[in-house]
Amino acid sequence: MINRREEEYLIQQAARRELLAGRINRRDFIARTLTSGLALAGIGVAGKYGISAARAQDRPLTPTFYQWIEDLHPSIPQVNAQFPGINYQIAPVEGFGIERFVAEAQAGHSTWDVYVGQTPFVEMSAMIEAGVIEPWDDYIPQDVLDDMIPAIREENTIDGKLYGWPFLLDVIGMSWHSGITTEAGLPDEAPETWDTYLENAKAIVESGAAPYGATFDAHGWRSLVPFAHSMNPDIYTPEGLFDFTSDAAVEALILMKKIMEVSHPDILLAGASDGGVNGTPDEVAFAAQRVGYYTKYFNAPLRMAQYWDNPADLHLGPLPKFAGGAGSTVFWTTGCALFKHGKNKEKVAEYIRALTYDRQIWQDSIAGTETSHPGQLPPYKSIYAEWDANPPEWMPPFVSLVRSQLDRARAISNHLFGLQQFVIGQPIWEAYLKGEESDPRAALQRVVEAVQAEMSRG
Amino acid sequence: MTAVAQQRYGAAQGRSLFGLGLNTWLFLAPALIFFLWYQVYPIVRVIWISFTDFRFLTGEPGQWVGLDNYIEALSDPLMWTSLWRAALFTLMFLPGTIIFPLLLAILVDRVKNQRLATFYRVILLIPAVIPSTLIFVLWKWMYNFQVGPVNLLIETLGGTPQMWLGGTELTLPSIAIMEIWWGLGYHTIFFLAGLAAIPKDLPEAARLDGANEWKIFWYVTLPRLQPIMAILVVLRFGTAMAVIDEYLIFGGFNRDFPTYTWTIFMYDQAFQIGQWRQGFAAAIGMIGAMGMMIVVAGLLWIFRPKG
Repeated sequence: MINRREEEYLIQQAARRELLAGRINRRDFIARTLTSGLALAGIGVAGKYGISAARAQDRPLTPTFYQWIEDLHPSIPQVNAQFPGINYQIAPVEGFGIERFVAEAQAGHSTWDVYVGQTPFVEMSAMIEAGVIEPWDDYIPQDVLDDMIPAIREENTIDGKLYGWPFLLDVIGMSWHSGITTEAGLPDEAPETWDTYLENAKAIVESGAAPYGATFDAHGWRSLVPFAHSMNPDIYTPEGLFDFTSDAAVEALILMKKIMEVSHPDILLAGASDGGVNGTPDEVAFAAQRVGYYTKYFNAPLRMAQYWDNPADLHLGPLPKFAGGAGSTVFWTTGCALFKHGKNKEKVAEYIRALTYDRQIWQDSIAGTETSHPGQLPPYKSIYAEWDANPPEWMPPFVSLVRSQLDRARAISNHLFGLQQFVIGQPIWEAYLKGEESDPRAALQRVVEAVQAEMSRG
Repeated sequence: MTAVAQQRYGAAQGRSLFGLGLNTWLFLAPALIFFLWYQVYPIVRVIWISFTDFRFLTGEPGQWVGLDNYIEALSDPLMWTSLWRAALFTLMFLPGTIIFPLLLAILVDRVKNQRLATFYRVILLIPAVIPSTLIFVLWKWMYNFQVGPVNLLIETLGGTPQMWLGGTELTLPSIAIMEIWWGLGYHTIFFLAGLAAIPKDLPEAARLDGANEWKIFWYVTLPRLQPIMAILVVLRFGTAMAVIDEYLIFGGFNRDFPTYTWTIFMYDQAFQIGQWRQGFAAAIGMIGAMGMMIVVAGLLWIFRPKG
């Protein structure tokens, strides 16, 4: 019923545009809109003014957003206001689920024109495989393409084609609650190495400044991978999978176990929303000021610190290093995917350009608003150059930190199992974290076997 | 209308199919189309898919693979583990959907003041009308290890906080408690309807014959509530074995979690992993459905009318 009404609306809008453009008269307009309603209801027969002609007209620009993006970026409606008639919608993608998009693509159509919420390593390969999306190359202006930070452009490119138009940049780093660390007698600076990080975390617990010293998000792409990258970021197999048996991965797993010794007991449990991937126990602990140190993408501590007695106690820093390690980390962008069967493709490019360059969105994201403080950053060189030349008064110091971390970071390789390899592997490597397996390398070897077994299923 | 009369009616109309006239078929058509299109066709389609190697992500038509998907599923330990987890949850959940509502219905049924009885019924029905999303949010907060009121209460009483959700051994009992609470009022109304149908003179007569309250309950009330119990057990067995929303929300796709049941296994294979092997996922679904049908047949036999 809802679909039918949407279609009626779209057809009536198309007829209205024809009328306003003087291509049809009032009589034709009324006949066309009436016929469209009857035909779609399955009652009438589309006659002289049947639906096919009206449907051939373009529909309003129809973007669809992952819910959290709207929640964290309240200025999006202001961009939408620049596009009259826009049919803005929330995407049915809880827990990264893209089944609706795939089902529509198999049927050769798309309700929406563009999806804002695609993270390349998570679902981009599957969207390409299923024929859901097409490259942006024919629609994105060259100056925008040239303006993208090269590493981000590479992240969104497969086989030389740009399948994701990046929007929100996240980099994984470290943060701490200076109220807790100061009470524990620790210096108000970022620990440079993991050894110092662990010593400090223990000091917090021993001093009683907080019940827990440090925490992390147990999902592999938010902990195992960035910890491993801090030692060596070049740990991907030729086919694009994470090399679980690399020395860096083994050291990362050992590090996770050490952090767990000074962390909250529920650290490995599922999150409270979005299929367990969001609202995780680390966020609860950090928001409740029960833990001193925290490693996650920077937008997490920024959001959680809003619940603190004094949000100014939040300090951010780069991810610590292993002795002799590369000091790298992980980044990803959440961006826009162009539906192959969508419409208004030139208009979509115009819209995404306006969205991703909108200065108010970036100010709100970085400086925060009354409702949110995501701290996500833009993907364009020109915006950083502008800020460097004329630093806005609202600009906090963490922006230059995150930007500098991006140069050291590496994205997780795109692969059909880019995300799933970590979902499959998590319960297996957690056997080591829980003490059920004493050898970290053996646990990670079993992860490789499990991922290969799942891949061999097809 | 008898078969003979139907034949005569059809013959009188000059046209008949399966002994039914055209007019009859016209009236039957909406329900029949709905039944065939929305119920029979999807089942037949899933059965068909379960014998193919259909991968949804590729969009290519599936090729016939015979029993390969079934053999693969039945030889996968995850199939058996996930079925067992669903059965375990059902064992935790099902008794609570009978015992507590039954006791509550008997108590409410004894309230003589009509206004008070109505008030109790309304109170009991409140959880049943709360949207599922709110229920899940509420209980996630209640059960939260670090800031949830359940653990705060335990700590206040001197106990040790527990990890109720998110993949621990307590996850299934915790979800079962939530589900029992959620359906308490709804199930109580079932039993109240059953109690209202028992003639009042039966317990009165038993009382006059010297039966105590326990014997009245055991020999008079309970046998007459058996049809209600049968309906509840069969319906709720089906829903408990096939729970998916709660497991997706409270557990996600971690295969080690007790919430990774056969329904999640099926969903995972159909919509998450690799090229979305829906042929294999359909086989998992059919195995689960067959197992449930066998148990339902057993339940119907247990609750069959006797005497």
